[in-house]
Amino acid sequence: MPEKVGIVGIGQTKFTSKRRDVNIPEMVYESVKMALDDAQLEPNDIDAILIGNMDHFEGINFSEMWCGIDAAPGYMKPVVKIATGGTTGSSLGICGYYNVASGIYDKVLVVGWEKLNEGGATTGIITAFDPVWERPSLAGALGPLALMANMYMNEFNVSPETAAMVTVKNRSNAANNPFAHLQMPNITLDYVMSSQTISYPLRLHDCCPQSEGACAVIYANEKEAKRITDNPAWFHSVATSHYYTFGCDDKMYDLPTATFASKKAYKKAGIKDPIKDLDVAEVYEPTSWAELSWTEALGFAEPGKGGNLLREGISQMGGELPVNPSGGVLSTNPIGATALVRIAEAAIQVMDRGEKRQVPDAEKALAMGFGGSLWTELAILGNEPPR
Amino acid sequence: MKKVAICGIAQTKYEEQKIDLTISELVFEVVKEIHNKLNISNDDIGCVISSSNDFNDGRTIANMAIQDAVGSVRKAESRVSGDGAFAYVYGAMRILSGEYDTVLIVSHTKCSEGDQYLINNSIFDPFFQRHLGLDQISAAGLMANMYMTKYGISEQQAAKVVVKNRKNAMLNPYAHLQQKVSLEDVLESPMLAFPLKELEFPPFSDGAVAMLIANEEKAKELADTPVWLEGYGSCTDAYYLGHRNMSDLVGLEGAAKEAYKMAGISDPVNQLDVAEVYDAFSTHELMSYEALGFCEKGQGGNFIDTGATELEGSIPVNPSGGVLSSNPTMANGLIRVAEIALQLMGKAEKRQIADANIGLANGMNGICSQGNCVLIFGGGK
Amino acid sequence: MNLRGEYKLAKKDREDIFEIRWKTDLPYKYSIGKLSVKFFEVLKKERKLLGSKCPECGKVHFPPRGVCAECVVKMTVDDMVEVPPRGTLVGFTVINYPFVDPQTGGMRPFPYGYALFQLDGTDTYTMHFLDEKDHTKMEIGQRVEAVFKDEMEGNLGDIPYFKIIKEG
Ligand SMILES: [Zn+2]
Repeated sequence: MPEKVGIVGIGQTKFTSKRRDVNIPEMVYESVKMALDDAQLEPNDIDAILIGNMDHFEGINFSEMWCGIDAAPGYMKPVVKIATGGTTGSSLGICGYYNVASGIYDKVLVVGWEKLNEGGATTGIITAFDPVWERPSLAGALGPLALMANMYMNEFNVSPETAAMVTVKNRSNAANNPFAHLQMPNITLDYVMSSQTISYPLRLHDCCPQSEGACAVIYANEKEAKRITDNPAWFHSVATSHYYTFGCDDKMYDLPTATFASKKAYKKAGIKDPIKDLDVAEVYEPTSWAELSWTEALGFAEPGKGGNLLREGISQMGGELPVNPSGGVLSTNPIGATALVRIAEAAIQVMDRGEKRQVPDAEKALAMGFGGSLWTELAILGNEPPR
Repeated sequence: MKKVAICGIAQTKYEEQKIDLTISELVFEVVKEIHNKLNISNDDIGCVISSSNDFNDGRTIANMAIQDAVGSVRKAESRVSGDGAFAYVYGAMRILSGEYDTVLIVSHTKCSEGDQYLINNSIFDPFFQRHLGLDQISAAGLMANMYMTKYGISEQQAAKVVVKNRKNAMLNPYAHLQQKVSLEDVLESPMLAFPLKELEFPPFSDGAVAMLIANEEKAKELADTPVWLEGYGSCTDAYYLGHRNMSDLVGLEGAAKEAYKMAGISDPVNQLDVAEVYDAFSTHELMSYEALGFCEKGQGGNFIDTGATELEGSIPVNPSGGVLSSNPTMANGLIRVAEIALQLMGKAEKRQIADANIGLANGMNGICSQGNCVLIFGGGK
Repeated sequence: MNLRGEYKLAKKDREDIFEIRWKTDLPYKYSIGKLSVKFFEVLKKERKLLGSKCPECGKVHFPPRGVCAECVVKMTVDDMVEVPPRGTLVGFTVINYPFVDPQTGGMRPFPYGYALFQLDGTDTYTMHFLDEKDHTKMEIGQRVEAVFKDEMEGNLGDIPYFKIIKEG
């Protein structure tokens, strides 16, 4: 029989641009230890370990064989790595869900990490693309993201100021999140607008940083979850939608995979009107423009109207559907952990443990991963087990 | 437990270099063959789990390259970065969760495209081990020496594994190396990493393997001879070679114990009809006999001397020719699963073991059986 | 092949912290596939561009490739069709930041124009360099044309960039 799955423990390192004080397993261990302590579990209580990391960024092949043993309690246990680029963290989070939902394991520890300054993310990302046709002109992730922004602003006649509002919201939210990398309580629209254009129309502050850090999450089946904590965060649905190998085969301003995945995820979780039925969303926005487009694709706003969510206060803290109370990807981007942080932060919200970033009475939360060639992954979490 | 069934299998011929095929085209060959064999279309596939390795493919997010080929546009695909047997396990979990009726599992590697020494050297940590120039060959030499010394295993006994597997490969149309070798050939081949010689190592191969797995209801529609997952176990040994017991495969042993428990196996040699093990080098197969409980610790050499693991023996091991004959690295574990499924379906043709009803397959990640998974299958005919 | 890391002592705060530097480059030989082989042959000999047309849905793919993702069917060299070297600009940017080019190991020169085009008669978009570094001179919908080198070598360098054209 399929099992219900709950999140019972979370650990995040303080994300920052460079962790000189620790090596890779030491950094990963920090998050693992925090998650174990959070769930009040011993290493031996864990049945299986799932690791998320992009090997090429740090140049460690089979990095799970190192971190699974020297950072996570994987000795004499199953250790598997899941790696799907930007979606690594969500693919990992979803794999953790199936490890428990299948009835195979009772308690699973998933941990995603990246130490981006030890390698080259832009250089690494270029090699994700076709060696003949795409790599020569590609400039990492920002090039295609700039094209998307360009196509989006052209299609819907959206101003750069509208996009800049996303950065202002997310980086000021980040000031409430002790783990966030870029915390800017007093950030202004001017500050974003006056930053250098690094890939038109993207300004420096329209773009996510490169972060180092790790995020660990402990999953448990219903019986164990209820034994471990009074308020697990329960999985209500997960969904993945992938796309063409050549991501730029299609128009890139409306993220169709987010639409496909959300239809599936909403149906299973009983979400009819996302604005009303969801209480908070952690969206994977690598650029300011992306949050506008992604929130539309998720059905929060009509196409081209994502800016209204900000102007009307809907996606702001205190609004009807706050988006990225954690500060989102614009504040923190440790690639292999980023999408898992979305799941962890969504869980924190429905567990009512968000402290200064807590959305009041959050019962249903959406977490999104984005990556690959325009892929979307979603998880919907709730404070009650699914029916 | 009749819950997860293998319904169809496709393999490419394993070769030294498939220079005319991109990785996408290579994978498409096996995907299309699955469609054709089962008379299904892409719409009949619930989701896809692939296995690959970015270092081998020279591509970050290596699964991005195969999205078109596996038919995952708008669909769910995910990727285990590592051996294909683990991708099978993830696919089985998706079936067991009740959320998918069918899952396509695909694994590929084109060893010819990368520098295998540098790729394998990158598995070692960059502080203490990588500088030593370690790779899978030198690590195997270390392991073989410690194992052979501890248990008094002879070079002849180790070489017998190669002779057996290469002979079996002659019966497998997909196998890469299809020349018989004699005991003398093996013993006289150049020393690569003492005590292991060139022929005691596998070739590097290009190839892909795919299978469709389904729940009980769908399996009835799709397959006359579905093969059922009966047992699974997974276990990981320490990372640093110096932290490991290099003369016993303790990780594989741990995985086997779990799998046997789930499948109700207490006497593997008598209960299992056939096994496909990950023979990364000659003595590795002997060590696997011990870890899998086919014989006592230290008896791997004597066990092969009895002929028990030959095609007509009591527990034939690697009728396909094993990794020593075909080695598209990430696909190896899924090939083991595929070959056991073919045996249990009675479709293994010339390499068929008579009356094969229960079989074992194992997969491996990392170096020298660090990450292990053991799978027990039953049913078929 | 340099497998010896280079140790570097960095000073930060009160601690001495070691970094170890690796400069190993990982070489690869990627198969480009029969369709790309034909593409570059025809490009070199005839100065023409070829796409691949799906035998099932008729979608014309550029660049050419072996599988139609929509139909999950194979396309072969027999399915290759000529496409004009002209098309429409559908998205653009100007790359204005430094990074290491994995193909050369050196820094890629910047700034450079980088854009998406739809070649006439094709159903996909394609990315390439654009010979324009001033974004105010670019507009979605502009007509563009592939520029060919005088001496063709049979690789993507034969099309160094696309340029914006005026069609009367
Ligand atoms: Zn088609």
